[in-house]
Amino acid sequence: MLAIDAAAYRSPWRRRHPAAKAVLAGTLLLCALVLPPWPGAPITAAIALAVALGWARVPPRAFLRSARAPLAFIVTGSLTFLVSVDTSGLTWAPGGAARAGEVIGRCVAAVLAQLLFAMTTPLADVLPRLARRRGLAGLAEVAGLVYRMLSVVLETVDAVRRAQADRLGALSWRARWRSVTGLAAQVFVLSFERARRLEDGLRDRGYTGELAVSVGPLPLRGRFLALAPLPGVAAAVLTVALSLVPGLG
Amino acid sequence: MHIAEGFLPPLHAAAWTVAAAPFVVHGVVRLNRQLRENPEAKLLLGASGAFCFVLSALKIPSVTGSCSHPTGTGLGAILFRPPVMTVLGTITLLFQALLLAHGGLTTLGANAFSMAVVGPWAGYGAYALTRRLGGGLLVAVFAGAFTADLVTYCVTSAQLALAFPDPAGGFAGALTKFGAIFAVTQIPLAVSEGLLTVLVVRLLRSTSAAELIRLRVLKEGGVAS
Repeated sequence: MLAIDAAAYRSPWRRRHPAAKAVLAGTLLLCALVLPPWPGAPITAAIALAVALGWARVPPRAFLRSARAPLAFIVTGSLTFLVSVDTSGLTWAPGGAARAGEVIGRCVAAVLAQLLFAMTTPLADVLPRLARRRGLAGLAEVAGLVYRMLSVVLETVDAVRRAQADRLGALSWRARWRSVTGLAAQVFVLSFERARRLEDGLRDRGYTGELAVSVGPLPLRGRFLALAPLPGVAAAVLTVALSLVPGLG
Repeated sequence: MHIAEGFLPPLHAAAWTVAAAPFVVHGVVRLNRQLRENPEAKLLLGASGAFCFVLSALKIPSVTGSCSHPTGTGLGAILFRPPVMTVLGTITLLFQALLLAHGGLTTLGANAFSMAVVGPWAGYGAYALTRRLGGGLLVAVFAGAFTADLVTYCVTSAQLALAFPDPAGGFAGALTKFGAIFAVTQIPLAVSEGLLTVLVVRLLRSTSAAELIRLRVLKEGGVAS
């Protein structure tokens, strides 16, 4: 299982309704995007981090490990703002560092809000609920199937990779190419084989096209739902208040 | 190259979502029709989506010596056709955002436009054109995968240039800057993805001809359609 999904299944917020958690993380995400980067981004990021580690009790090591890769991409991607291209060639961009800082700040806050939702809400709780919405049923059912098959396929990928490594499949450039093409083809064959076996099994059980999944009831509790927008509101109020302080805004 | 969560200004993120929406809706309509006519196809689509996710996470040896990830959109478009690939690609991008923190929810529209809409259509166009001009299956597959990969990155460069025009050179300067940076890594990667896709299809032709016939990539008797 993927690390973020595993954390979501273990989350103390697992029994909270996904809609309430979407309101909480969504408000913070909105703050990250629309508030002025200074001081909005650090405030939103700090509140998202506090909610994730303090209130939702996401394990800090897992949270930071999941944030590491996207944040590294954001920092390296923002380096392009430091240079400018014109007819004379490549030069240092005026105000490039400030622009890079703004984008990095906004992204850090947004990524933390996104992770707050992802690490407290398994997709298995979201997709069946979307399938009940009119017009989204077919899409959500296919997405649900992709999600369920993904765990099996990822296990297969791990097993094939281990087998290839045991046969020295990563020893040379040529061997790595052979391994990766073999892996892709093997995953294709196994995925389709599994789909066909599932199809046969379902047909034997009188499959009519409906893949109804039993979803445990998760009440949309009024208190949690009422509290959900508060971190975002706090970020907005604090940002406006600090913007009014001379020398800070 | 996924545009990270929060990277695009809100107006750009919204505009790209609006731009991608008609293609995704068209794909969903086609998907729903396909599922009504053939409910068993749901399982095949589930398997295809899982395959697309894994394909985009494979590390391929890059020409520069490092490792890179293929987009998988070319192979997906050739196997499943662009409208279905638009839906599967969008689902894959959503899962990558929520399960890997790779890409984002607010940038889903922009990423879907480049990777699930333009990339697959351009790749499929190159594949179909090469076949029509009399090119062999594997040559067409290379053309499709190479084009899909490269066009995806060109669109991403344009999206970034529109969002962050260069202070001196404007949109053109920013496009040159992002394009030049991507060209260093992406042209070798597009070649690598093209080669990988050719090898995968060659292997599939010998091990899974029945599936390729079912997907109308091959005709009965193993002849490329």
